[in-house]
Amino acid sequence: MTDDRAELAQPPIEERPAPIVSVQSVSIQHDGRAASTPSDVTFDVAPGEVVLILGPSGSGKSTLALALNGLVPHAVPAELTGVVTVGGMRTAEATVARLSERVAMVFQDPDSQMVTGTLLDEVAFGPENLLVGRDEVLARAEESLRQVGLWERSGDNPDVLSGGGRQRLAIACALAMKTPILVLDEPTANLDPAGIDEVYAVLRQLVDSGEHAIVLVEHNLDAAIELVDRVIVLDTQGRLAMQGPTRHILTGRVDELLSLGVWLPVALLAALRLRRAGVPIDPLPLTPRELTASLDAQDALPPLATLRPHSAANASGHAAAGHAAAGHAEPAVRVTGLDLDRGRTRILNDIDLSIERGSFVAIVGTNGAGKTTLLQAIAGVIRAPAGRIQVLGIDPAKADARTLARTVGFVFQNPEHQFIKGTVADELAHGPQLQKMATDDIEARVSNMLDRFGLQELRDEHPFLLSGGQKRRLSVGTALIDGAPLLALDEPTFGQDRARASELLTLLDALNADGTTVLVVTHDLQLVAEHSSHILVLDSGRVAAYGPTATVLASGALESAGLRTPPLARAFREVVRHPTWRAVTRLADLPAGAPS
Amino acid sequence: MSPATASVTRQIADPYAAPPDYGPIRFLHRLNPLSKIAAPLPAMALLLFTRDIATPLIFCVVTLVMLVIGAHLRARTLLVLLVGMPLIVAVMSVSFGIWTDPARVGDSPVLIEAGPVLFTVGAWLVGLATALRLTAIVLLALVGGLTSTGPDLVRSLVQQLRVPYRLGYTALAAFRFVPRFRHELDVIRQAHRVRGISDGRGPIAWVARTAGYVVPLLAGAIRHAERVALAMDSRAFGAHSTRTERYTIAFRARDWVFIAVFWALTALVVML
Repeated sequence: MTDDRAELAQPPIEERPAPIVSVQSVSIQHDGRAASTPSDVTFDVAPGEVVLILGPSGSGKSTLALALNGLVPHAVPAELTGVVTVGGMRTAEATVARLSERVAMVFQDPDSQMVTGTLLDEVAFGPENLLVGRDEVLARAEESLRQVGLWERSGDNPDVLSGGGRQRLAIACALAMKTPILVLDEPTANLDPAGIDEVYAVLRQLVDSGEHAIVLVEHNLDAAIELVDRVIVLDTQGRLAMQGPTRHILTGRVDELLSLGVWLPVALLAALRLRRAGVPIDPLPLTPRELTASLDAQDALPPLATLRPHSAANASGHAAAGHAAAGHAEPAVRVTGLDLDRGRTRILNDIDLSIERGSFVAIVGTNGAGKTTLLQAIAGVIRAPAGRIQVLGIDPAKADARTLARTVGFVFQNPEHQFIKGTVADELAHGPQLQKMATDDIEARVSNMLDRFGLQELRDEHPFLLSGGQKRRLSVGTALIDGAPLLALDEPTFGQDRARASELLTLLDALNADGTTVLVVTHDLQLVAEHSSHILVLDSGRVAAYGPTATVLASGALESAGLRTPPLARAFREVVRHPTWRAVTRLADLPAGAPS
Repeated sequence: MSPATASVTRQIADPYAAPPDYGPIRFLHRLNPLSKIAAPLPAMALLLFTRDIATPLIFCVVTLVMLVIGAHLRARTLLVLLVGMPLIVAVMSVSFGIWTDPARVGDSPVLIEAGPVLFTVGAWLVGLATALRLTAIVLLALVGGLTSTGPDLVRSLVQQLRVPYRLGYTALAAFRFVPRFRHELDVIRQAHRVRGISDGRGPIAWVARTAGYVVPLLAGAIRHAERVALAMDSRAFGAHSTRTERYTIAFRARDWVFIAVFWALTALVVML
């Protein structure tokens, strides 16, 4: 029934103005790949329209974005069939430089877009290349920097800006090109929550001004969805699965989207779960605010399952297991009065902390709060003052490398940094070899680990030739193979798409369920809410809060430490008519209903 | 935008818009970066072949005076030049002197004799000459180094020497890679230490360790460079054979005069 209504609401195609971007039967095949992604894709973008490209990872979203300004095929080795026309110009017949007068790009990594020494030079760089006159260059630079709120800092070096600031600068650089079309490829994937907010505040202004047609590739739908007029969905093979107005597609064809593996706004996911539990939510909400409103529109809601079954059961269950094994419930990590300086700066200040065995702890905080330093001190990657930290009975500041490797596994942000051998199997065998284990014992462990992480087929492959997800799994495998009961991960999902992030988190959940204590430093607060049993909030090197996830989320400690409550918790916290529901923070808290 | 507002804007906001000007006395800032390289070049070459004390000393003093008068220096830099440099010369003269074979210097009063070590005045003077020579070369290089910026040098290379701008500005962009790679190398080192391959001392272990850093560093570097290249391409880098120069760096009569005077001075010192 929702389908019918949405069908009627869809505007007839003929009424739309002449497109400024036209993509006709476009297929792109990267050199050396067998399949084309995207494959036979056709869509238009009208002037002033905001279009979001969705699709599972590997469907060619970013490649499609690169084709819009001619980088595919002119600068990236790939073959393009079909026709891309932007502002009346066919990309195949124009140079990237000519096309840059019609399409401006913003990429994922702000660092790789900076080429000069000051903000002003940076913004002027593009217009200067186009031989725009000097006064006009300066006028454009000022206007663009003002639009993103960075004019006052025009003399600064881009390096001194935060991640969000640098990405705003990248947007200013795109604006200075004075193009009618703006393409943004995962613009917030490398940013912390504060940076994401900054970038979306700027984007909202741009959308409101209506001067640009905007094509957005973005996985963070919770931030993006309010800005988007229309979505274009690619399937796993890179074919056009559907396109249409945002609400029509997201709410009307949500089952198809789910089966494609497309990430959806968490408010929508929550509403779907409630529907299955018999709550007649209609229409489906897309944003936290809409979710709040639709809950308050219900006269009655089913009883909530006891909150926090996950963390409570988990923690106590494993504590009991640990008890049986060790004979006493000693915490996995105990930190007492830890101060830590780096150079002359105090990074950690009087940290007191006790982490139970079997917990899944998320360490959160703004940039510079000391998250990574604390994690590294606990894992013995950097040496803390002796006697301040106890990890499963050893002091990581004094332990030798072998003992440490048996106790804590540490996973760096970029898995490549940890690889030291020529094959996947050797990579895994390295740790046990240092432990001087027997050869057949090593082989058994390696084989077991390869099976567990789905790498058996790739055992003779070079680690650098694995896919991103495989590399990540291998790095976790190398950290665990010496039998460490504690796993520490530094921003393991940073700069990754949702599918890969979710794959890793599922893996961590499984390890945690088997009794591994997991410590994760992360920026992704919804992920924190969904998976962690405890949250540790750091603020300027001090512990601002530590406790069970639900308690910390409800306490407002995130806000006072300069962070934002994740979208789901925000939605439920505002519910007026059903006070018991205000404590809901994760999808698993909601009544499940019939399994789908 | 009217020319008036444009120039106001420039003064406030654009430190790169014109070379900083600190008045006619600080004349070094008003010279083209190239002339500040060309002028001392013959003197630097000459110094490589001198063995006496007077020649480098004259160049040291002249250059110091020129820097103190002609360059706008921060107090700290000034302190390093006026106090630090002489100290370094003193220390270097002794250490170079000790390495000098006393037999080659001939008879001269002995300053220190401690066991096998014999330090004579003659040896010290040889050390002093070497120290002054090195210092003079460094000071001459600082004439340009302390008074021009990297972007200005690139601009004048492009504008006067007709170096293709694609080369110049790409080199400038590459400078931004350095701190990034340094950080990345630190992280890789840390990661490898965690994997337990810091064990082993001596040159062979060092080579093995360093070789292990190369692959991840290179993989990261290539990916980064590709991304930077795409970002530059999409901002029309290389679109035309020239690009707008927001200001031109002139090579004026004063630059020729500066070079001529400096070269004449150099010739004079040679003839002395």
